[in-house]
Amino acid sequence: MSNPHETAALAATLEGNGALIGEDEGGSDGHRWGMVVDADLCTGCQACVVSCYAENNIAISEEDRITGGRAKTWIRIERYWEGEFPHAKARFVPVLCQHCDNAGCETVCPVWATYHNDEGLNVQVYNRCVGTRFCANGCVYSARYFNFWDAEWPTPLDYQLNPDVTVRTKGIIEKCTFCVQRIQRAKTEANRDNRELADGDVQPACVQSCPTSALVFGDLHDAESQVAQAVHSERGFRLLENSGFEPAVTYLAKIDPHAKEATTAHE
Amino acid sequence: MGVLRGLLPRLTRRQMALIGIPLTLGGLATAGAVAVLIFLGASGGTIRPAPVQPIAYDHAVHAGDNAIPCEFCHRGVSTGAVATIPSVEQCMYCHAVVGQDLPGVLRLAAKWEAQEPIEWTRVHRLPDHVRFVHVTHIDANIPCETCHGDVETFAVMKQVNALNMGECMGCHRDTTNQPASSASPSGNAVLKSSASLDCAVCHR
Repeated sequence: MSNPHETAALAATLEGNGALIGEDEGGSDGHRWGMVVDADLCTGCQACVVSCYAENNIAISEEDRITGGRAKTWIRIERYWEGEFPHAKARFVPVLCQHCDNAGCETVCPVWATYHNDEGLNVQVYNRCVGTRFCANGCVYSARYFNFWDAEWPTPLDYQLNPDVTVRTKGIIEKCTFCVQRIQRAKTEANRDNRELADGDVQPACVQSCPTSALVFGDLHDAESQVAQAVHSERGFRLLENSGFEPAVTYLAKIDPHAKEATTAHE
Repeated sequence: MGVLRGLLPRLTRRQMALIGIPLTLGGLATAGAVAVLIFLGASGGTIRPAPVQPIAYDHAVHAGDNAIPCEFCHRGVSTGAVATIPSVEQCMYCHAVVGQDLPGVLRLAAKWEAQEPIEWTRVHRLPDHVRFVHVTHIDANIPCETCHGDVETFAVMKQVNALNMGECMGCHRDTTNQPASSASPSGNAVLKSSASLDCAVCHR
């Protein structure tokens, strides 16, 4: 480590790793999409899951596929029980693709079907994917889903397919896109009106349908945006942060003053 | 065969295999490579022949002789992803009073009487994994001719460009990083904004 250049490079790398999300990608003038999930507001109602199915043409998973571990849910509610009866409490964690800055899925794709775009989205290009499933194995959040079967849309279910979203075929990986089709649409509309995108113009289906506003989506580069403010909350943490994947989704911890005493009382 | 047998040296079965197997494999590999090249050349880039339509609609008469703007009938083009084919009702706006004796218009009027849609055969079709949005391109002042050709001269509507990804990328590369409101290299478009090269813009 005597070489001064190497030392400088290492320092720069360490500094880069320590940077807040949104400050290292895509320059300062571009967008950096991110989400905040407030676990304190989530009631586990699954409205986000349902709206995601409808918005993104996700194949409906029947019981055998769910029990077989092959269900597709771009966003899912993970439920945890805390404590023992009668002090048991349900904890809900909505888990979706975290759009990691340092994603484990992107580097392993042999055909560049998944990549990070200028706006911080982890993009899956369906027509490039050859179905190696390396990315699904590289994802610590299990947020990538393989199409083991061709989806069936018996009439009249096919009438409700979203024309803005590809219907995926058998043999490829799919995952949450942060509703990139809605981002594109909002940009087109803003462009027509000759204005910049405002905070709240882009709402993914899950965010739009959340009855308690537990999900907040927006541009992390816009310091005034709701999401950029929420990201700096003292309750903030990121899922499996020690994986080093630098996810773009920040979770806000549950506020529960009784949690500790209930647990200790039981113990 | 008898002549050949006389000319060629006599070979044992083993020798035949030694020569024959590599020759066969080489032939198969060549055939495979040719097939792949043909497939690559044809996939997504086929210009299909003009389909026969239920009514012999003539773009040359409407858009050419009568100079009706494209957008007058294809109204979705400036508001959404799909340019839209006009409804029978929309045709009848004019044809209730124009050219009522023409055979095509008679068939149109019959459809209108029966309140049935006309089942046009689609001419331009992109693969399912591409989401093309017309309004973005109209907003960028890309003329319709860029992709659809000189429609005002077509008696029968046909596809003139392959509409493959290479053609999209050709324009998108030309117009990326161009200052706003500059002319494109083709010289016929005044651009309001630069095109994106991000995959997610079309593939989503």
